[in-house]
Amino acid sequence: MSRPRIFSDWFRIRKDLSPGRKSLLTVFSFCLPAALWCIVSYVPFIWHPDVKITVAASREGSSTVLTAGDHLPKDYFPKYVNDVREENASEREGSKRKNQKLLRQISPLVIEAGWLDERDAQNDKEIYLFWRDIATGKRELPALNDENMEIVRKNWEILASSSPVFEYKSLPEEPLLKLVPQGKPANPSYLPAPDEVIETGWSLFTRPPRNDGATMGERYRSSLGIIFRGFLWACLIGVPIGILCGTYSFFSTLLEPFTDFFRYMPAPTFSTLLVAVLAAGDSPKIALVLIGTLPHMILMISKTTRLLDPALLEAAQTLGAKPRQMIGSVVLPGIAPNLYNDLRILLGWAWTWLVIAELIGVKSGLTEVIETQGRFRNFDQVFPVIILIGITGFVTDQILAWFHGVLFPWAGTSGRISRAVASFVTWPIRTVASAANERIMQDELAREARRKLRPSTESP
Amino acid sequence: MTTIETLPSYLDQTPEVAARFARLVERPVALEVKGLTKVFDSSRGAVTALKDLSFSVHKREFTCVIGPSGCGKSTLVRILAGLETATSGEVLVGGKSVSGPGPDRGMVFQGYTLFPWLSVKENVMFGPKVSGTSSVAAEREARQWIDLVGLSKFENAYPYQLSGGMKQRVAIARALANQPQVLFMDEPFGALDAQTRCEMQNYLLEIWKNVDITIVFITHDLDEAVFLSDRILVLDANPGRFREMVEVPVSRPRSNDQVFEPLFGATRKHIEHLIHPPGREQKEAPVMRIAKPDPDVI
Ligand SMILES: Nc1ncnc2c1ncn2[C@@H]1O[C@H](COP(=O)(O)OP(=O)(O)O)[C@@H](O)[C@H]1O
Ligand SMILES: [Mg+2]
Repeated sequence: MSRPRIFSDWFRIRKDLSPGRKSLLTVFSFCLPAALWCIVSYVPFIWHPDVKITVAASREGSSTVLTAGDHLPKDYFPKYVNDVREENASEREGSKRKNQKLLRQISPLVIEAGWLDERDAQNDKEIYLFWRDIATGKRELPALNDENMEIVRKNWEILASSSPVFEYKSLPEEPLLKLVPQGKPANPSYLPAPDEVIETGWSLFTRPPRNDGATMGERYRSSLGIIFRGFLWACLIGVPIGILCGTYSFFSTLLEPFTDFFRYMPAPTFSTLLVAVLAAGDSPKIALVLIGTLPHMILMISKTTRLLDPALLEAAQTLGAKPRQMIGSVVLPGIAPNLYNDLRILLGWAWTWLVIAELIGVKSGLTEVIETQGRFRNFDQVFPVIILIGITGFVTDQILAWFHGVLFPWAGTSGRISRAVASFVTWPIRTVASAANERIMQDELAREARRKLRPSTESP
Repeated sequence: MTTIETLPSYLDQTPEVAARFARLVERPVALEVKGLTKVFDSSRGAVTALKDLSFSVHKREFTCVIGPSGCGKSTLVRILAGLETATSGEVLVGGKSVSGPGPDRGMVFQGYTLFPWLSVKENVMFGPKVSGTSSVAAEREARQWIDLVGLSKFENAYPYQLSGGMKQRVAIARALANQPQVLFMDEPFGALDAQTRCEMQNYLLEIWKNVDITIVFITHDLDEAVFLSDRILVLDANPGRFREMVEVPVSRPRSNDQVFEPLFGATRKHIEHLIHPPGREQKEAPVMRIAKPDPDVI
């Protein structure tokens, strides 16, 4: 019995898969990690060692203040709930002051529900009315479980008997009940679920920043600005030096040993020096990207240049090319496709230097968000930024890879689309050039014809 | 081995051929090599690649250089082209001493050395352009040379789109576009399949007939050498030394059928014996699986 075709030929040593299977696996290579993340996040019994608090309560005599969104170990949560229940059941002293505080228990919940603006978190008048609405069923707050709904109703009974609207004077002295903590199973805060990351990511980029900091868009642009300026400077210096080193033994012996040594001194170790020399602002950051990229660039490009088939250089020499013409007419065009790929790889590395660069001097850009939010364990804000950097690098690289085919159609690796684009883009140039050629050719022919005519008219 | 006795001597030139050789040596000398010695100083000690080699080639002559592998053929042609400097000795082209590569000597390499970033036409234009010819004139000349090697349809193709034979035809056109006095070719058809190689040999003779050029052609293929050349320079190996300058008695114009002429065979045999002296290559047979006697396989 033969196996169905779909199962065969997936594993063949050094043989390409069919295009269909390749695309399928490419999609899978992204889906697989995403699926893994989803499974770990959403299938409750897989991991979930924590409880994420959705309704928080303060406890008498406990110094740790827990708020909604905090994580607690799974084992500890029942004790937390019990403490609050016991407190509710016990004989307590009540006061207006305490009750005012207890009123505000629901403000995170109504803010979360979108009924109240964040700035009104302590607007007791509004909050008071929310108690009424929730207790009377005018508004539904699904975040609260039955136990807590009961508590809300009991509290409102007490409140309503004193005053229908908030007035500090008329707050009852009788102690209000505390909401009992609620929570849902969760993974540790360093592994937020996909939906949390997407939601926070979306709000990070659409909502104005909290305190007067830069918006994410501005941060993104500033990060891109630093990496591209740093990389551009590195190219301006590194490409010519690399090519010279690869072409002339003189330059390679003069420059490469030190470059090689310099490469082993980690660029971040120069950060304080750079800040001291270039002061704060973007310049030390750009310089760090430059310092990190440059040595690798010089060495890589000189190697690429050396890999150019020496027979091409010899062929050019036998065709009469002079040494000074060699770089322009053979070396440069010959290494261009590989040089381009080198720069692509180096640009990828430059992102690493960017992250370090943004931490030196005055922290800035996307990395500042990663750094500060990471410190507060707000990893749901850290992940979107990390992913953004990843996507930017990846997409840039893919676009550049595709342009390789447009720029170097002669390398024979271009796909159909990039070939078409290349011929489309160069079409006007080619048309103009060939028309000009035609004209010059005709002029020359005419001149030649005249030259031929002249002797015949001179001779008798 | 009965044919050996029936073959004529390779020295038996017909009067016609003898007269041609007599006229040939009357021509001016295009290339003269005097006492050429080349020693490579490698890490494993000095290697003498060529030792005291002298010969001369006349204008419009087609000379092949043949010899066992490693006898210094490539070294010789690289020195002639100016890509390598001789340890001692002198090379004169058109009476002038050679001191470096120059457009007066063209070269076609065994590997494909077309510039992959240039189209066929631009490759052929390369030589004229680096020596200062205007683009328009260079393009017009290039068209003629491409036409000569029969690739007009491909003038805008890139090298990666061409077959091996076509690439070498472009390489020949590119070398000729500089109008060199001598064209050196280092096993240019070595990488081609037998059929393409045969085509290319005919092409080359056709080009040689139509273009004012002297050709020095390196090969290790005996048939190729005899088929193409007027004279064959046979080298000895270790170190590379002059062995014999063989005058090929086969009449011109050459055709593929001449391969079966007795004189062709005789010349071929003679050179083969020069390169691989008979009786020396009895090697021990390797251990192999022995077949049972089979009446159909005899
Ligand atoms: N650059 C070099 N350095 C050292 N030895 C070399 C070099 N080039 C060639 N040789 C030596 O010179 C001899 C002749 O080489 P070559 O001219 O390539 O032979 P052929 O082309 O006849 O096969 C060989 O023994 C080779 O090892
Ligand atoms: Mg060789």
